[in-house]
Amino acid sequence: MHIVVCMKQVPRDNSVKINPDLSINADGIEKIINLFDEYAIEEGIIWNEKHGGKLTVLSMGTDEWVEQMRRALAMGATDSLLLKDPAFATLDTIAAAKVVAAAIRKLGDVDLILTGRNSTDDESGAFAPALARVLGWPQLTYVGKVIDVNPGNKTITAERHLETVVETVTAPLPAVVSVIKDINNPRYPSLLKIKKVAKVEPPVWTAADLGVTGITSAVTITQRVPPPPRPSGEMIDGPDAAAKVKKLVDKLLENQII
Amino acid sequence: MPGVLVYVEQVDGEIAAVTRELLGKGKELAAALGGPLSAVVVGSGVGALAEKAAVYGADTVYTVDDPRLSPYTTDGHVAAAKVAVAATQPALILAGASFQMRDFGAALAADLDAGLVVDAIDLKAEGGAVTAVRPSHGGNVINTYAFAAGRPVVALVRKQSFPEAQPGAAGSVQALALGGAEIRTTVTSVAPKTGAVNLTDAAIIVTGGRGLGDKDNYYRLIPPLAEALGGAYGASRAIVDAGWVPYEHQVGQTGKTVSPKLYVACGVSGAIQHLAGMRTSRNIVAINKDPDAPIFRVATFGLVGDVNEVLPLLTQELKARLSR
Repeated sequence: MHIVVCMKQVPRDNSVKINPDLSINADGIEKIINLFDEYAIEEGIIWNEKHGGKLTVLSMGTDEWVEQMRRALAMGATDSLLLKDPAFATLDTIAAAKVVAAAIRKLGDVDLILTGRNSTDDESGAFAPALARVLGWPQLTYVGKVIDVNPGNKTITAERHLETVVETVTAPLPAVVSVIKDINNPRYPSLLKIKKVAKVEPPVWTAADLGVTGITSAVTITQRVPPPPRPSGEMIDGPDAAAKVKKLVDKLLENQII
Repeated sequence: MPGVLVYVEQVDGEIAAVTRELLGKGKELAAALGGPLSAVVVGSGVGALAEKAAVYGADTVYTVDDPRLSPYTTDGHVAAAKVAVAATQPALILAGASFQMRDFGAALAADLDAGLVVDAIDLKAEGGAVTAVRPSHGGNVINTYAFAAGRPVVALVRKQSFPEAQPGAAGSVQALALGGAEIRTTVTSVAPKTGAVNLTDAAIIVTGGRGLGDKDNYYRLIPPLAEALGGAYGASRAIVDAGWVPYEHQVGQTGKTVSPKLYVACGVSGAIQHLAGMRTSRNIVAINKDPDAPIFRVATFGLVGDVNEVLPLLTQELKARLSR
């Protein structure tokens, strides 16, 4: 079977700056695979090891992304594919899903798409559902455990972990699945594999290759600002811990916080 | 009519608090857009719930009532919502930003080729156009969005962003039929999470971090303090990764984002990823023995001290003063 993992490169921490053109400036900040996507890669490797076939990591980004794609290959992905075009730089989530859907259709033989529940920079969690709907495939989001992937019956059964309930759901393949953090423990790539994939260049497909010229976003960012500073706080002092605790509780009661 | 449609979220068979918040804000936005406020209740046997929803300001509450709509499936609920969208032609569709609603809202927006904003904390309607505000990058960036004209907007809104609507005169209730909907997923069980904590709903959260020293100290000190305050208890990523506390308690960029009335951070240094998940809390109390810990920079009240000494005293004091 052919599993595709959609992965994104993100800044390790979010202490980013805002460029005058409202784009995000993460220069000088280490880039990593989006944390939740690492769990998707690991889950892809697990089911690829069980059923064979291909495990492709797919990313929409720039050449900067290649390093993270190599890391995914060193973890155990078998193939990689980069969607790169200046036209992709400013797409909103649904427009981006249309581009990725075009790539999936071009690949042609995909049984299962895995991705993280959201990226740690944009944080919307909208990509997986949008991709599923554009493709016309069923979706299982917030999956905390894949119980079975059955290429024979073409089904997947998984647990969706919501805030207070766990749903067990079966869907026909092909399907789109987004995973949460407690699904597995991503493996570290071995040094040997890191060396082996160090020079791999993923195939690159452009907007023209995909036939997706003219896709437009429905959402435009008109302002980006840092959050307003919190009003400066008050340090509680006192001769000892008991005095400080009394004073703290006084403050919480006086301000009707408790 | 360029109005607003609110998707009524259900929690344990009742209307979710976030829905009452959205009905309140939706009324204001519908007036600004010059159209009606509608709501839609989707599920099986939801007539009584629609009657309850009708007193919170919607001109019309639509029901799409069908056995195929319980339990929730994306296919079923998106198809039902689209029936209501066809009936009301809204400019703006509002729902909460829970996991299930993100599953639903993003799928609906993709189907409608709509503008989508997830986790909005503010919405405006001016001159017939909607704008939305949402944080990203762990709360370090506040984005304002505009949307393409002529396409609807789906906005999924963070809880506690707006005050709840107050009950008043009841709007009308009108039934819509689901019609043909292909539901491809089969839900075989829906089980409550054992020991589940709905941190995103809690008004008070007490969180522990590595400063507690070990797992035993966490359980000896944090749950009793949370209980004394009538709140839920959370954990930093460091101690979840260390295996002290299950992941569902984790607050932060890779855990839950919370905005309670009171957040008490105990032995939490305040790594940027943690701050990302809790900095929008209305009041923050930080207790840490390191006076330079970054958590103090966001604290409403800071107390420098050893958590192992301070927390038992604080629990005792709260119990006495709050008569718990």
